Amino acid sequence: MKKSFIFPIIFMVLITAIFTFVLAFLNQSTAERVALNQEIELSRKILYIFDIKPPSEKPEDVLKVFDEKISSMPYEDGLVYVYHGDEGQVLGYAVPVSGPGLWGSVEAYVGISHDYSTILGIDFIRHSETPGLGGRISEDDFKEQFRGLDLTKASDGNYIIYRPAPGGNVDAIAGATLTSKSVSNIINEDLHRFLKERGNS
Amino acid sequence: MDSPKKIFKMGVIKDNPVIVQIIGICSALAVTNLMMNSLIMGVGLMFVTGLSSFTVSLIRNYTPKHIRMMVQVLIIAAYVIIVDIFLQAYMPEMSKALGPYVGLIITNCIIMGRAEAYAQQNPPILSFLDGVASGLGYTIVLLMIAFVRELFGFGTIFGIKVLGDWWTPWTIMIMPPAAFFLLAIIIWVSNTIQEKNKDVKKGQVAK
Repeated sequence: MKKSFIFPIIFMVLITAIFTFVLAFLNQSTAERVALNQEIELSRKILYIFDIKPPSEKPEDVLKVFDEKISSMPYEDGLVYVYHGDEGQVLGYAVPVSGPGLWGSVEAYVGISHDYSTILGIDFIRHSETPGLGGRISEDDFKEQFRGLDLTKASDGNYIIYRPAPGGNVDAIAGATLTSKSVSNIINEDLHRFLKERGNS
Repeated sequence: MDSPKKIFKMGVIKDNPVIVQIIGICSALAVTNLMMNSLIMGVGLMFVTGLSSFTVSLIRNYTPKHIRMMVQVLIIAAYVIIVDIFLQAYMPEMSKALGPYVGLIITNCIIMGRAEAYAQQNPPILSFLDGVASGLGYTIVLLMIAFVRELFGFGTIFGIKVLGDWWTPWTIMIMPPAAFFLLAIIIWVSNTIQEKNKDVKKGQVAK
């Protein structure tokens, strides 16, 4: 076969077009589902932060409770989620916090009470810490420790202090010192900024 | 013409991509701390290798020889993206656990290795089987490593607790170095066995 110059180019363009079309079609047809999955996961986490238990883990129930009790408002680049009681009064805020972890950025939400005095709970939206070590920050044992922490006694924005340091209120994860340290830095810094902005430091 | 039986024997045992050809090592070290992750990764690779070999073989007579690698990469990338989209849409938990490794299936040498070494010269159906067989060989090795790592590192198998609370998890097993040790041990054992088999066969021929 004589080596043609044009044929390989046409061949490549054609095959690229075919595959791009197939992928674009698949992407389009699943986009809604992917977005829904992400929404459900975020709703679950926000509800967990405020310690609200939906009647079941089913996506419909989670979204229903979320719609009833949670609203959002813009804050910096993201959203602050507001927790409403049955009469519409504000019960708490979920503040986005983020910063560098050990391997990649860590994104989380911290729930605080409406008078900015206590932490209601935290949950991690995204992180890439070592599974089984730093990755354990997303386990309940670690996250549950943050519920009910007093924010009013903290000085200089040191809300989270690991035991056994003086004034310590949370246990770090053994074997994951750097991840634990980043988590406390992220929460302390971003929470401090939020509280200062609200004039209640 | 190769029989399917021979193809599978080659892919899984005699020419196992991980322990004989020593390719696809990177991902074998990365995702093997949990059995479930390894299984999904293996199935994903089986799917991609099988179908990309099939497609490469299907168009092998029309593909200009000097741009065949470009075409192969394109085909592989397309299937990897399909796996990624599928996981995101229907198995969001798994998609999160595997994270960037799904996208990295494309860099797995096994896929292009099979496309070049086999699918370029053989008919589509056999190429498909060859890809699946290689993927299966890869999956089995991954599961063997993951079995030991998860058992000692977490005390669980597929997330089910098998060792009681008395068990102190070995942190080293969850860290990447453990995969190095285990992979080396598996290669050592399997090479010893295969050498022995060869010796026995040679001895028979000599008689």
